[in-house]
Amino acid sequence: MKALTHLELEIFLRSLESEFDLRAPIRLLDGSRALGRLSEGPLALHGGRIPRKPTDLFFAQQEKVFEAFPDGRYALPESPSKPLLVLGWTAEDLDCLEFIDRFFSSGFADDLYLAKRQRAVIIGLTGECGAGGELLRLAGGKCDLELIAEGERFIVSHYSEAGRKLAARIDCRENNASLDQLRAASELLPNADRQLLRQASALLRSGQVPDAFWASIGERCIACTGCNLVCPTCTCFGVQDWSYPTHVERSRMWDSCQLGGFMREASGHNPLGSEALRSRRRIHHKLVADLERWGHFTCFLCRRCDSACPTGIGILAVCHELVTRYGGGETNEKFGVE
Amino acid sequence: MSKTLTTCPYCGTGCALYLLTDDAGRLIGVEPSATHPTSRGQLCVKGWNAHAFVHHPERLTTPLIRKNGQLQPASWEEALDLMARRLLELAQTHGPETLMFLSSAKATNEENYLLMKLARAVFGSNNVDHCARLCHASTVVGLAETFGSGAMTNSIACFEQADCILVTGSNTTEQHPLIGARILQAKGRGTKLIVADSRRIRLARVADLHLRQRNGSDVALLNGMMHVILREGLEDRDFIASRTENFAALQQEVAGWTPQRAAAITGLEPAQIVEAALLFARAEKAMLVYSMGITQHSHGVDNVRAVANLALLTGNLGRPGTGVNPLRGQNNVQGGCDMGALPDVLTGYQKVADHAVREKFAAAWGVNNLPETPGLMATEAMNRAAAGGMKGFFILGENPLLSDPDQGHVRRALENLEFLVVQEIFLSETAQLADVVLPAACYAEKAGTFTSTERRVQRVRQAVAPPGEARSDWEILGELAQRAGYDGMRYSDPSEIMAEIAALTPSYAGIDYARIDQLGLCWPCPDKGHPGTPILHRERFTRGLGRFSPTGYLPPAELPDADYPLLLTTGRTYFHWHTGTMTRRSHLLDREERTAFVEVSPEDARQLGLLEGEEVQVASRRGEISARARITEMVPTGTIFLPFHFAEGAANALTHNVLDPEAGIPEFKVCGARIRKLP
Repeated sequence: MKALTHLELEIFLRSLESEFDLRAPIRLLDGSRALGRLSEGPLALHGGRIPRKPTDLFFAQQEKVFEAFPDGRYALPESPSKPLLVLGWTAEDLDCLEFIDRFFSSGFADDLYLAKRQRAVIIGLTGECGAGGELLRLAGGKCDLELIAEGERFIVSHYSEAGRKLAARIDCRENNASLDQLRAASELLPNADRQLLRQASALLRSGQVPDAFWASIGERCIACTGCNLVCPTCTCFGVQDWSYPTHVERSRMWDSCQLGGFMREASGHNPLGSEALRSRRRIHHKLVADLERWGHFTCFLCRRCDSACPTGIGILAVCHELVTRYGGGETNEKFGVE
Repeated sequence: MSKTLTTCPYCGTGCALYLLTDDAGRLIGVEPSATHPTSRGQLCVKGWNAHAFVHHPERLTTPLIRKNGQLQPASWEEALDLMARRLLELAQTHGPETLMFLSSAKATNEENYLLMKLARAVFGSNNVDHCARLCHASTVVGLAETFGSGAMTNSIACFEQADCILVTGSNTTEQHPLIGARILQAKGRGTKLIVADSRRIRLARVADLHLRQRNGSDVALLNGMMHVILREGLEDRDFIASRTENFAALQQEVAGWTPQRAAAITGLEPAQIVEAALLFARAEKAMLVYSMGITQHSHGVDNVRAVANLALLTGNLGRPGTGVNPLRGQNNVQGGCDMGALPDVLTGYQKVADHAVREKFAAAWGVNNLPETPGLMATEAMNRAAAGGMKGFFILGENPLLSDPDQGHVRRALENLEFLVVQEIFLSETAQLADVVLPAACYAEKAGTFTSTERRVQRVRQAVAPPGEARSDWEILGELAQRAGYDGMRYSDPSEIMAEIAALTPSYAGIDYARIDQLGLCWPCPDKGHPGTPILHRERFTRGLGRFSPTGYLPPAELPDADYPLLLTTGRTYFHWHTGTMTRRSHLLDREERTAFVEVSPEDARQLGLLEGEEVQVASRRGEISARARITEMVPTGTIFLPFHFAEGAANALTHNVLDPEAGIPEFKVCGARIRKLP
């Protein structure tokens, strides 16, 4: 397998800029990292997951849907002139992407999403590139190409035709790298958080979590909406129309089920009229409703909501509290949890 | 596509965020700074929506001049020439004391500095003020008297170190959400939490002790607590002896404030006052947090004095996890004060009455002299205008028609003026009355600095171009000064203005743009090598010794009576900000709170026969509005609450224009009112 030095990788990435709208982890002014063009800041491949969900490149926080004119014409947003090439996905991010690809194509086709997504090239970034060189789980697929950090080098693995073509263009000195050791180490990474989600889901499905628990979580929800906005599998959006003298512009923006207005009925009645109910719904949706709808949880443990929550009630924190309080062997047995 | 690091335009917490811009130059989102010590990768709902109003189609894009009774588009040349000519004419004909310059807590430090410079150096008037008059004027007076510095004594990081936090008159999780979140987190780790607030706010729901004292009885509560502390011998004697003065006077005042007497005034149980005193005084590190519930009273300065006395008595100053922490409500209300947008001080609270100070500024500004008599407070100027004694107002980024007490009075005042200029980003209710409206760039379209509630001076950066012909306030002020014959306000970049501020302001002397490129610095920062001062009064108070300022209790000016049997208190909601010019044009925020509402207790609603959400008439001696009833245990029986964001149900049509005699702050928190069910 090919393996690139940091310099070789940067040269390779720059060689792609004429062909692709390239986004890669860069260092920002405040020292944090984001996906950006190479002109925006120095490449910053190490440090683990990017704070902002990378799926926002296909589903932006706010984006134009169309413009409508008085004569009946309307204009859709222009398709991107160059396809996106996005480097920097962790294995968990790729799980999320795989899900929202299905979501935005299932039953209906979300034109705005697919216009940006369909030609995009996805490059995972895994291996020893977490904070302080910590090993990040290898993806082993769900992307076109994966760059797996090992020490100072990046081993190349490809999983699609687009990835194979890109890999073939890579010019580097080393061509005999092996992933065996990293794969073995990746498989040994702790799985406790996945188990925690399973336990929490089992408790929720068995009705063992009383309202009082959600009341105590709800007391700590300040409705910042950060948990939803940073979640790569949250796909809800609101719509607004702005009237300009020459046209009307419709745009959409990320919405949040932690807001009272999200479910408020025209009558004013709100079936999710308290922070407690909304907090319950947030967790229930990811661990119960989506399990029934899609056959799997839609939390893939990216941990962004736990970082973004000012009061410490991200999904893992809530599940930990829930399992600590109500977890027990009977539940695990009943639902076949390991 | 770009990411611009800047400072949130909403409350004074001072979160750092990135504005995300697409290739077409439009804002498409917000990302919190992950490394900033306040935001730490987190924001509140307003912060997450800070981009949402910027491209709104109702943004002002061209100057407007009133012609034939209508505001009509005009050129910048025409508008600026008219302004300069009319303001100079009024100053020459009627005297500069008939002009008022209202600066803005939403504008940058550099712009606040320039507006006060314009007022003083160009028009010779100290009549300059801003909305701190409506929020923390009491703090500036009360803490300057007791500590020597009218600002938050400690930093936001200190909230995580307190053993006990007393929150009084601050709905922190709604108005300073990331600070409120720290209090919730501290509570979860075992910090004792006392909330003194008549409303059952979120913090009250998790507090160890919730004191629902009658609105306006704060001095009685605090004096009662100090009585107990002295009775139990829990005062910090070493601190009192070495760091304070005037202790004997405090002892004398609080000697008569038994818990029973305090309870009779506050409506609390004596045991609650004792418990609060013991919880607070027995903590190793106890912190006081307050906001408008303390300051917006006709005796707001007395309230602040009582808060300061409690901290002095227990030695809770100058250490991490302690302090007197007034939370500033707007993004740059601290900076507006620091910049001398106040009638009695220049930058850094240097008094206009001080000859040497005036000499220094006059020399730097190249003028012969500066006015020495303190000018009018904003509220005094409004009163004088209503009486016909003012001729011209220049209002930059404020909306007094919704924000000031007694809307009918404010309307009469503004309509009495011969010339009204409003510089704004939207055609606000106040701007609709103006003779000239100037379109301004918003925070996302200009550069400068804001100073947060913890005194952190931080960068504001331009992410997108202003709409149409809108310009930055600092550019407009420079142009106006030049037309008024003054050449000393020409700058090519706001960094040059900050350099001038630093040269004239000891507490900002060490601040320049390069030093605050990433994180900002907390003033005082007296030289270029100074690391800033997160905690004030460590070794000595700014005034030397901390001064006990004993104070007695005065009731609010207008209490409920037979005609107006309910106590009306006003404030803000989580989703809106002040007069709603920005948040009511942000889709998600507006969706959450779409209409004016009045909080009514279940018992009062039962008595009045009200249903949830029904439209009711709310009246006071000043006026009547309609609002939807929100039946909630948030308010105690006998009290109603109105937010002041909504022009169509303006709370300030009802509020009482009675002022604290020292600070000039209105009593927004108490007046008599009644509710009428519609037929």
